[in-house]
Amino acid sequence: MEQENKAHRAVRKKSQKRTVHNGQNARAFAVAAPRRLERQARRSHDVKEKRFHVPMVDRTPEEPPPVIVAVVGPPGTGKTTLIKSLVRRYTKHTLSDIRGPVTVVSGKRRRLTFVECANDMNSMIDIAKIADLVLLMIDGNFGFEMETMEFLNILAPHGFPRILGVTTHLDLFKSPATLRASKKRLKHRLWTEVYKGAKLFYFSGVMNGRYPDREILNLARFISVMKFRPLKWRNEHSYLLADRIVDITHPADIERNPKIDRKITLYGYVHGTPLPAHNARVHVPGIGDLTVSEVERLPDPCPTPYQEKKEVEEGKIKRRKRLDDRLKVIYAPMSDVGGVLIDKDAVYIDVGHRSFVEGEEKGVGERLVVGLQNAQTTLGAGGAGIRLFSGAGALNEFKQERVEDDDVHKGDTGRKVRREGRSISGESYDTDLGNDDEGYDKDEDEDEDDADAEEEAYSKSMASRLAEDDEDQGEEFVFADSDSDLVDYDDVDEFDADSGDLRWKSNLADRALNDYKTGRRKWDIGKLLYLDHISPEDVIKRWKSEELSSTVEDGDEDDIENNSSDSETGDHGDDFFKKRENSSIHPADAEVIDRTIPVYDDEVLKDKWSGAASTALASLKGRFLTGQTDDDEDDEINSSDFDSEDDEEFGDFEDLETGEAVTGASAQKEKEENTGEEEEETLKEKSYEKERELNARKKEKLRLRFEEEEEQEDDGLGDDDPEKKLYDTWHDAQKAKITKQREINKAEFDEMDSVTRERIEGYRAGQYVRIVIDDIPCEFIETLDPTFPVIIGSLLASEDRLGFLQVRIKRHRWHKKILKSNDPVIFSLGWRRFQSIPIYTTSDSRTRNRMLKYTPEHLHCTGTFYGPLIAPNTGFCAVQSVANKAATGAFRIAATGIVLDVDQSVQIVKKLKLVGTPYKIFKNTAFIQGMFNSALEVAKFEGATVKTVSGIRGQIKRALSKPEGHYRATFEDKILMSAVDIIILRAWYPIQPRKLYNPVTSLLLNEKTEWQGMRLTGEIRHEKGLSVPQVKDSDYTTIERAVRRFNPLRVPNSIRSGLPFKSQIAMMKPQKKETYLQKRAVVLGGTEKRKRDMMQKVMTIRNEQVRKRQEKKNERKVAYQKKIAEDEEKRKERERKDKREFFKRQGKKRGASESGGGGKRHRVSDE
Amino acid sequence: MVAPPVLYSGHEDFRMRLILATLSGRAIKIDRIRSDDMEPGLKDYEVSFLRLLEAITNGSVIEISYTGTAVVYKPGLIVNGAITHNCPLSRAVGYFLEPILLLAPFGKATLSLTLKGVTSNGIDLGVDTIRTALFPIYNKFGIMRQELRVIKRGAPPQGGGEVNVFLPHVVLQPTTLHAAVKTPPIVKIRGVAYSTRVSPASVNRIIEAARGVLSATGCETFVYSDVARGEESGKSPGFGVSLVAETRSGWCYTAESIGGPGETPEDVGERAARALLEEIAFGGMVCRCQVKSLIVLMVVGKEDIGKVLLGKGVIDEGFVRLLRDIKTMWGTEVRIKEQEALDEEDEQADGPEEYVVSIKGVGFVNSTKKAA
Repeated sequence: MEQENKAHRAVRKKSQKRTVHNGQNARAFAVAAPRRLERQARRSHDVKEKRFHVPMVDRTPEEPPPVIVAVVGPPGTGKTTLIKSLVRRYTKHTLSDIRGPVTVVSGKRRRLTFVECANDMNSMIDIAKIADLVLLMIDGNFGFEMETMEFLNILAPHGFPRILGVTTHLDLFKSPATLRASKKRLKHRLWTEVYKGAKLFYFSGVMNGRYPDREILNLARFISVMKFRPLKWRNEHSYLLADRIVDITHPADIERNPKIDRKITLYGYVHGTPLPAHNARVHVPGIGDLTVSEVERLPDPCPTPYQEKKEVEEGKIKRRKRLDDRLKVIYAPMSDVGGVLIDKDAVYIDVGHRSFVEGEEKGVGERLVVGLQNAQTTLGAGGAGIRLFSGAGALNEFKQERVEDDDVHKGDTGRKVRREGRSISGESYDTDLGNDDEGYDKDEDEDEDDADAEEEAYSKSMASRLAEDDEDQGEEFVFADSDSDLVDYDDVDEFDADSGDLRWKSNLADRALNDYKTGRRKWDIGKLLYLDHISPEDVIKRWKSEELSSTVEDGDEDDIENNSSDSETGDHGDDFFKKRENSSIHPADAEVIDRTIPVYDDEVLKDKWSGAASTALASLKGRFLTGQTDDDEDDEINSSDFDSEDDEEFGDFEDLETGEAVTGASAQKEKEENTGEEEEETLKEKSYEKERELNARKKEKLRLRFEEEEEQEDDGLGDDDPEKKLYDTWHDAQKAKITKQREINKAEFDEMDSVTRERIEGYRAGQYVRIVIDDIPCEFIETLDPTFPVIIGSLLASEDRLGFLQVRIKRHRWHKKILKSNDPVIFSLGWRRFQSIPIYTTSDSRTRNRMLKYTPEHLHCTGTFYGPLIAPNTGFCAVQSVANKAATGAFRIAATGIVLDVDQSVQIVKKLKLVGTPYKIFKNTAFIQGMFNSALEVAKFEGATVKTVSGIRGQIKRALSKPEGHYRATFEDKILMSAVDIIILRAWYPIQPRKLYNPVTSLLLNEKTEWQGMRLTGEIRHEKGLSVPQVKDSDYTTIERAVRRFNPLRVPNSIRSGLPFKSQIAMMKPQKKETYLQKRAVVLGGTEKRKRDMMQKVMTIRNEQVRKRQEKKNERKVAYQKKIAEDEEKRKERERKDKREFFKRQGKKRGASESGGGGKRHRVSDE
Repeated sequence: MVAPPVLYSGHEDFRMRLILATLSGRAIKIDRIRSDDMEPGLKDYEVSFLRLLEAITNGSVIEISYTGTAVVYKPGLIVNGAITHNCPLSRAVGYFLEPILLLAPFGKATLSLTLKGVTSNGIDLGVDTIRTALFPIYNKFGIMRQELRVIKRGAPPQGGGEVNVFLPHVVLQPTTLHAAVKTPPIVKIRGVAYSTRVSPASVNRIIEAARGVLSATGCETFVYSDVARGEESGKSPGFGVSLVAETRSGWCYTAESIGGPGETPEDVGERAARALLEEIAFGGMVCRCQVKSLIVLMVVGKEDIGKVLLGKGVIDEGFVRLLRDIKTMWGTEVRIKEQEALDEEDEQADGPEEYVVSIKGVGFVNSTKKAA
């Protein structure tokens, strides 16, 4: 194993100056402060350790998809203005209104998709799942609002993307000092929410409907250098943000039934992992789970300069002559921008609205058209004819040749049906049509491809064609002639001119026959493998070129299939009524019983592997690394001499352990030798020298091979296998492994052609695709509003089923309400938003999951609900309602958590206490009543532990026969027959969570912000004006407990006399004589009397003083109370005023937002 | 909302289709099960396999039609646990164990499975082969620590064997395999020859015969003998051998054979040895009885390309059917490419024809595994 060393570095010469520390006693000066050194070392290590992240595979392809930049903020913070400003900055294009995502090219290799997040919980949740970068808009003048906080808390459980804060409306501050203070305050607040040091941009006022150019430029620069870390969920799923949605249901179907499920196409860039090519299961948040019926890759509508350059290099497109501002591309099909839009269904040309002003015609064309419009006479009436080309003569006659073009005849109504592919060659170029027709065709074909690039190629081909036309008029075109001219029209010329068939199919059979005749046909297993109409047996037969009973006469696969199935039955003659054997259902006999051990033909094997004549054995020898072999075998081999020239290459081997090389002949050779073919041997003796040399070379090579094999073993990673190298840390090794795997993937995919690649890999991130989905509810199309994002997120196979999820959940500390078990909650988990009914539980020392009525405060608990199964460790958040109507202004994120476990059944128990009372007590036995209703019930609980309130434990013994449900129990001590000692049986009752899974179908609503699912019981009661039903027993009543009097312990004399001395109760007899204290009489006199008198007086004076003081104090107190009350009154008055003002402002803000676009509101400054 | 079931018809690859369905979580419907047969419908061992599947999963729904010619299977989650299963005598325990090995690593907990019945019958993998040749394949995918104990050997037709399998390793997903450079050289040949209720000498005769055939390869060969006595020898007399050719890097080829009626131990030993040579001659990394498990493990991997070298002989009808089933289940396809010689003067010129199979994993994650 090689060890990589660092390159040698020359030892730095020590300075000649000797310090005092370099004396004899080096140890004394080694470390001045060891503790500090240790601390420093520890800290630097900590810092280093903190930089590590779990190595994560970065699956961003070479050509990454546009970065999704979400602009989020409360209404009126300038989101639209910001997008407009940024778009203007990148494209020199002013958008008038923004609907749906806007994609712009922002750099050589980067594109940005801006998407505005409406003020709606659904949009916020969806955007949080796909945004790569969030521009968090904050009204600087107002501060953070609830929406911002909510959005940040939605982001957290779904993986934090990058966040840039943008404060606006800073021009409204009047004094610089307040502005500064406010900026600082905002910055620190953002830091606590995001991370310390998060970037916050400060935008001053709006000029010309945009933010100042300098400020926008800074933001744009910051965005352009930003790097993105892969997030776990997005690294495992593919998703796209639809930037175009078209309904392609047949209009006749809609006419027949307007509520028919629609077939729609969605367009967008693929993000995340590749999108599977076949029947991908996807979830569209707001609609539900759907199956993709078709995916197709489209040319990138917004390619980066890098990509274009690469395509130019590959010869796919022509190089641009110059780069001007117009080429800074913008793609926003749902907004009002864009030029030509091409897709499978139609070609759309945006003619612009304000490009033409009457009286200021720009080009020749405009002048011509205006001239024609203003013409007094109708076309052709003048008799002069029309001259279409400057060189041509005037056209007087009008021949109507073709009526097929919709565009011309329908005028500006647009195309309703799919455009037919048409050949350039073929009948449309019948020479008798004349020149005019060609001009006409040209325009049409052009819009199919990129205008600039194609035009030139086209005109060239046209020129050559025209030249040909002139030469041989009336001659028909042959395909082969035109092919060379039409290189650029591959897609077009595959169609047959008249039938519309694919041309390559036309003479397939002939070609195949040719192939077959010219040489043995070799099938590619890769192609055969997935041709479902060929049975697996046939696949293998064909691939291994074994004779099929039917000869492969014609190449068409369908024909082959028919032939082969015919041939199976063919042996039995042409029995028409014979039952058809289905080959795919009845395979060879060996497979019928689903065996694992393959079937061997003993005789064949015997011939192949035994006997001296086995060439197979000889050729197999190279596969063995022979160690110490048996002695006899060694001898045999050693004794063998060199033999014939046609020595098998694999005949020789080497004894590795002894290092002795043995040139072995195969056993067969030896035997031949032994039979005595001496004459041959003598013939060859001359070439011995030569052969020895040859053999020596071979041996050397063999040795090298074996050594190499031993060294590298056999994994596919070759020399630079990360496993083999030594890395400093595990982290480095993992990263190297990931890199290596990436390279392998890339190498493998680059080898494939694009079709195979799409089939195997899927549509990778960065490709622009068109997705067709059948059966989308018609409401989606009818109520489509581009301002609400439409996301298509792919589902893994395991995410497509329902079951119980066990999650760790915590009520959000800002959420005002407590969460109650069995109350419906809307979860945002994976791509989905759905309503479900959780049960909150806690684990009783890991023995059981006990149901809780409510989520605990400031603690995690476990929640269980029914829903789509998502892999453990996925984060989620929950809200109680997504409707804007239901918003109270309080924080809406109810809870956050992660998935712990998924299962199809759960075990949750509820604590159940059964209560009974004793009605007869013997010593330790008691008869209990009131706990059960029947003897059967008692039987079920026989042996169960019961407990009295006072803590005496016992056991249920047996049901009593007479009063039904009464039983006998024993206790560890005698219980009391009173209200205190009621008997309690603690039991666990299993409960099941309710199976509700209700996806939030907000995109199907007319008012997309107002989705309402199942309501809470309390809400329904409130609406219906019902009161909460009360169980009488649950009422709280004052508990009256009589004081219990316990009589002193009396031990009867008879017992006491029997007690041993140690246990004798010490009792004293009452005294009969009077004591001194009882006997004495006390009389005051002398000093004592005077003292008392004195004290009496003093105390009287003192009491009077205290009384007076207290009186005064009370007076002051009253005055003070009065003052306090007055102040309080004043404060309340002030607060009321403040509140009024605040809500006045707030109301204005909300009012503006509800009346349409955020930015349109009229801002009133506080003057 | 849930995707419609995948439709299959015919009874072949019954086990594999159920396994794929369980791994992917998609419901399947298999119809026309021996519908044209004299005895239509599911066989006893197939029903038994369904029962076993039901036992190791939670929430599976199995509906068998009245005639038994159609099955609807809605897979639940793999939970594993301690399970004892009585296998019918028509198939060996290998029939049940082989597919279960594919499921167990992707369950919720460890699996301890006791199977009772015939331990090897020459059709299904014998327990020794599973231990010595199938477990190493799993190790290649990072699934370790399998244990298989043969408590009792049971020869057909009466069986009476008992095997305990302990699969403690639950993984999120198998690691991506890269084994497409070169067929590894074989360093040793090992094997187990066993007998129940016959003279112990027959085991030695098997060994001698097998060694006789294999000695021509010049490879170090050692075959262990396992003579079951008394309680642990099941109910029927029988003998057999399982051979494994091992490479240094953990790949192996295997063949096994059991004594049929009227066969001498020599026949059995030679047959197994020749079959082993045949499997080795195909080339590639694995032999035919390992290839299906290998492909499935490669498919349920990360979304990365894994490669493996397979001999031409290994690619057979069953292989094609498996790939087609995988495609209907996950929509994923594999790429098969001829292995080009490493260098022009490589001696592989007349060696076995080999193919590189590259598979992109489906991004499978064991979602039943609990979060730490």
